[in-house]
Amino acid sequence: MNNLYSAGKVLSYTIRTVAVLHIFSSNVFEISDTTGESMLPTLAVVNDSAVVDKRYKYGRNVKMGDLIVARKPTEPSSLVTKRVTGMPGDIILIDPSKNSLRRLHQENLDMQEIAPLDSSSYDNYVIVPKGHVWVTGDNLNASLDSRTYSVVPLAMIEGKLVYAWYLTGMLSMFTNSPRKLANTFVEE
Amino acid sequence: MSAFKQHMPVARYSLRMCLAFLSWVPVVYVVTEHVAYIGKIEGMSMKPTFNPPESPNTRNHVLLWKWGVTNINNLEVDDVVFLRSPIDPEKIYTKRIKAKQGDLVVPRYPDTRSRVLVPVNHIWVEGDNVHSIDSNTYGPVSTGLVIGKATYLIWPLNRFGPIPLGGRECREARLRHSYKE
Repeated sequence: MNNLYSAGKVLSYTIRTVAVLHIFSSNVFEISDTTGESMLPTLAVVNDSAVVDKRYKYGRNVKMGDLIVARKPTEPSSLVTKRVTGMPGDIILIDPSKNSLRRLHQENLDMQEIAPLDSSSYDNYVIVPKGHVWVTGDNLNASLDSRTYSVVPLAMIEGKLVYAWYLTGMLSMFTNSPRKLANTFVEE
Repeated sequence: MSAFKQHMPVARYSLRMCLAFLSWVPVVYVVTEHVAYIGKIEGMSMKPTFNPPESPNTRNHVLLWKWGVTNINNLEVDDVVFLRSPIDPEKIYTKRIKAKQGDLVVPRYPDTRSRVLVPVNHIWVEGDNVHSIDSNTYGPVSTGLVIGKATYLIWPLNRFGPIPLGGRECREARLRHSYKE
């Protein structure tokens, strides 16, 4: 009986502590691992731990060039790290590598026709609608981003990456220091 | 002094109870954030299903189920959902799901010849009222914007019960076409 009582006590303390930590990590700061090659060279493929500032949740005060963590519109259960490369109202050329300017000129497309985004056509323009951002990876060759799933609603932004720390083991804590993730678009 | 000593255990007991109560506040907050909460329906876009004109001053409240609602498999056509606005993330809309991923929808604007294919993990939402800013304006929305699903109408008490069906019948023929068409 006594054992059961103390077990219950441990459980109740655990629940309360986890709740407090959860509120902190979802509203203030969170440390999370990043994986994938889409943000090279800013973030390493593996072992890069990042500090996410959750006060930028729902895109609050997010600026052009910020590194953000967002839910993927076509798969909301997964989080992606990208850089904001288009703000509401901006006109975006989906993929400049496709020689699109020439094609646009040839076919005489007007804005009305190219506004709805067809994910299969990269050589098109998109106007970022209100409340959305255009996000791309720093490594454009290996990044699945707005060029495929189009604009991301601000409401799906989870936070902004502020620091990254390349950690491969306990010892690397002393050899590597945390680095501040700079905004490559706006001078700070 | 003796009176203080006498009351000491009482004071300590009530302080402890207070702290114990406060320590559960974050737990309750997490539950309201991720499991269930009470949602208030504002505005006219869901009239007459919610906030009917007979009682203009009462706001309808619903039990809002929040667990797993960003998973498309837990959302069905004609469910009433609360979602974060794709236009202004600080606003929350109440709309009815009218089509799901893979459906072909005829939007109300710009014209009746256009077709919209709802992408994977997206839903098409519309208000029950003709005066509604919904997917006809901002297009299909990702299920990641859904914050909860209305499961019971709980206030006012005389309307207590499951969520009533609704929606504009003239739209029904224009929703959920098969892609093969």
